[in-house]
Amino acid sequence: MSAIKRFFGKIMLLDLFAGLGLTFRHLFREKVTVQYPEERWEPAHRFRGMFRLDEDRCIKCTLCARDCPIDIIYIDFHQEVNPETGKKDKVLDRFDIDVQRCMFCGLCEEGCPTEPKSIWLTTKTYELASYDRWKNLYVDMDQLQEWKVRPAYTDDEIA
Amino acid sequence: MTQPLGLPYDDHDGLFAESEEMELNFGPQHPATHGVLRLKLKINGEKIVDTYPIIGYLHRGTEKLFELHPFFQNVPHTDRMDYVAAATNNQAYVGAVEKLLGLVVPPRARYIRMMLAELQRISSHLLWLATHAIDIGAMTPFFYTFRERERILDLFEEYCGARLTLNCMRPGGLPHDLPVGWTDRCRKLMDDFPAKLDEYEELLTNNRIWKKRTVGIGVLPPDVAIDYGITGPMLRGSGIRWDVRKALPYEAYDEVEFEVPIGQNGDTYDRYLVRMAEMRQSVRIILQCLDKLPDGPVMARRPRVLKAAKDSEVYHGIEGPKGEIGFYIVGDGTPNPYRCHVRPPSFINLQSLPELCKGALIADLVALIGTTDIVLGEVDR
Amino acid sequence: MSALIESVRNAVGDTLFYYAVSPLAKILVLLFLIILPLISYLTFAERKILGYMQARLGPNRVGPWGLLQPIADVMKLLVKADSIPTRAVKWAFILAPCLVVGPALIIFSVIPLGPPAGGGGLSWFITDVNTGLLFIVALATVGVYGLIIGGWSSNNKFSLMGGLRSAAQMISYEVPQGLALVGPLLLAGSLSMVKIVEAQKADHTWYVFPQIVAFFIYFVAGVAESNRNPFDLPEAESELVAGYHTEYSGMRFALFFLGEYANMIVISAVATTVFLGGWLPPFPEYLPFLAVVPGPIWFFLKISVFLFTYIWFRGTFPRYRFDQLMELGWKWLLPLALANLAVTALVKLLLSEAPV
Repeated sequence: MSAIKRFFGKIMLLDLFAGLGLTFRHLFREKVTVQYPEERWEPAHRFRGMFRLDEDRCIKCTLCARDCPIDIIYIDFHQEVNPETGKKDKVLDRFDIDVQRCMFCGLCEEGCPTEPKSIWLTTKTYELASYDRWKNLYVDMDQLQEWKVRPAYTDDEIA
Repeated sequence: MTQPLGLPYDDHDGLFAESEEMELNFGPQHPATHGVLRLKLKINGEKIVDTYPIIGYLHRGTEKLFELHPFFQNVPHTDRMDYVAAATNNQAYVGAVEKLLGLVVPPRARYIRMMLAELQRISSHLLWLATHAIDIGAMTPFFYTFRERERILDLFEEYCGARLTLNCMRPGGLPHDLPVGWTDRCRKLMDDFPAKLDEYEELLTNNRIWKKRTVGIGVLPPDVAIDYGITGPMLRGSGIRWDVRKALPYEAYDEVEFEVPIGQNGDTYDRYLVRMAEMRQSVRIILQCLDKLPDGPVMARRPRVLKAAKDSEVYHGIEGPKGEIGFYIVGDGTPNPYRCHVRPPSFINLQSLPELCKGALIADLVALIGTTDIVLGEVDR
Repeated sequence: MSALIESVRNAVGDTLFYYAVSPLAKILVLLFLIILPLISYLTFAERKILGYMQARLGPNRVGPWGLLQPIADVMKLLVKADSIPTRAVKWAFILAPCLVVGPALIIFSVIPLGPPAGGGGLSWFITDVNTGLLFIVALATVGVYGLIIGGWSSNNKFSLMGGLRSAAQMISYEVPQGLALVGPLLLAGSLSMVKIVEAQKADHTWYVFPQIVAFFIYFVAGVAESNRNPFDLPEAESELVAGYHTEYSGMRFALFFLGEYANMIVISAVATTVFLGGWLPPFPEYLPFLAVVPGPIWFFLKISVFLFTYIWFRGTFPRYRFDQLMELGWKWLLPLALANLAVTALVKLLLSEAPV
């Protein structure tokens, strides 16, 4: 009986019609296109995008520069006596990141020991294209801090 | 197939000029070779007489890069080998490092790693199906599979922050714990997914044109497969039930139940069926993990600086989506590995391509490249 | 309208009207204002429908809902660099696209979009040759020359292989296509396209019902004739040879493309006229109110069904390998067409009242 059914299906091209039916049903289903730039896809909370730095929290331990697999973080600092407390403090001279080579792996963020972190990548920024290589893709200390519109560092809740 | 060990740029002119067959260069830039694979074909009319793959166009010196950084910093480099299935690369590397250093991974981390690896296996097989189908001519499965793959990548993004180059595991466990609601979203995706797999099967599995293009094409006999050292779905399609997850269990694979699908004839159609069945088994594993997920820490207690003992070596292999991916690491007392060699499944599976191509037509060549499921990032490293 | 035609006829004289003014006017209106925009918007419809089948939107940026996309495509192709390969045979290289597009457009002169005019007025076809069907099949064969010459003159061995393969495929599928058309021809009794439709009107049945096998064969052979999925191996991008139009760029490439889509419309139009009753509304006895919709609208709707099916096939099926394609044409479609012909002839003989 099933042999007859299979033979009938083969003659009447039922397998081809099944495929045709599936594509026809898809005409009426939801489309997955995100119409950029009118609609923008919002990344997740932990999305590793562009950096942000908070100089006040940074303790200048250079663990982030040491942890970077491609060594693109350049940190210089010098010691200075803080007039208020009278103790010696480290002052940041240079904190440059060469974003051209960055692979956004997040190891620098993991290496940062402060709570909350002083360097973080969860800024939900993925639109980094630029017409000029050096202007936007080699960011220095001030640029890293100036991103005031980007989210500040927050811990997310653990499941 | 004997080829002289010539220089990398040897033209083999002397070898080919004597015969009557035409030499054709299926170049590194071609829409059908998945990446930069170059094949020198010797064809006689429409039949392929011989194939000589030339690789190296994507070589980036990954194994040398491993020697320059400490153990935990090498994980992003492993992402970029098989860039389609980054989580399993990570898993192989951190598994090898843990074996070398004697770290014990907590149970929660083992289960989460298993879930990430199985999700990655599904995602890699979905991409394989998309490219294989579009090479053979059916262009719609590409869009349907990518729609599902986007949901899996969204899950990865919520967990570790990236979609493709994940960097989601560390020696000793995981960098972070699961975010809130991840398990619910994962469960919902796994509940929705088998219906989508049924859709792809409806479009392709019984389709007579698909069967005509894949049944009997590229038959790999089991003894030849073992001789070449092939692993993964290519081996299982030829009928040999070898899966590293069952034979040498790692993580928590001995605590979950799943089957290992095998094929019968070793042709392209059987490998297709094996990969589709593997996706279903992965869904089963993930649902079991979600049910059994224990509590606890996700990172082992480990020293601040990971140093291997002098003259220690380890090999650790896992079942990746393309085959057995393994790492051979030699430690020398410093935080950096002394030597880190990768066993890339795509490279070893690619060796069987000339064997598969014997007697095939040119039109079958794209089907055969698709069925070996190679990723050039892994072949060339 | 008929007053205008009357005045023009009186002004110009009868012979000049029938041999010069009327055909020119019909070519202008039917070909340039109806068929050519139809061909270019078919490309747009294909991209949109294919997109919708693949869970995405098609082009929707240029103009409202992307409706100006074909115009943007044409303008882009017009300004592209026009390159001829150095060692190519120049005259053949330039002639080949014309040989593909020319016959496809000339065929439209005998395809009736609507009923013939009564007394005054212009009919809905440019001319009605009384061997119309033969004319169409013959001109479709001329189209193969364009492919061969295009592939050969490009000085590229892949183009040559692709062109020869494509030509072999087209020639192989012309035989079942022609034989499939003979079935309804036996029922209609005439080769003229207008008379075939009128015979369907007289028989009160569209020829698709008695000749369903011939319909199926004709459509499948038609898909193969126009090099469309699942028979598009000669022009598939992911195969080894990129096809006969590899070396063409700019407007020449656009002409090849237009020729392919014009071929699609021609095959759909012939299938509509011969099998689905051309401009006739369905169920004329039971639903007479449908006759209020003019003939050309029905014709257009019926062509749209076929064109949608072409696009539907492209979105669903993988492609056949070349030897499997030839096997299908020669081993399956040809015997089936011959069997259909034999059965039709036998039944017609048995049912006719002529003395045996």
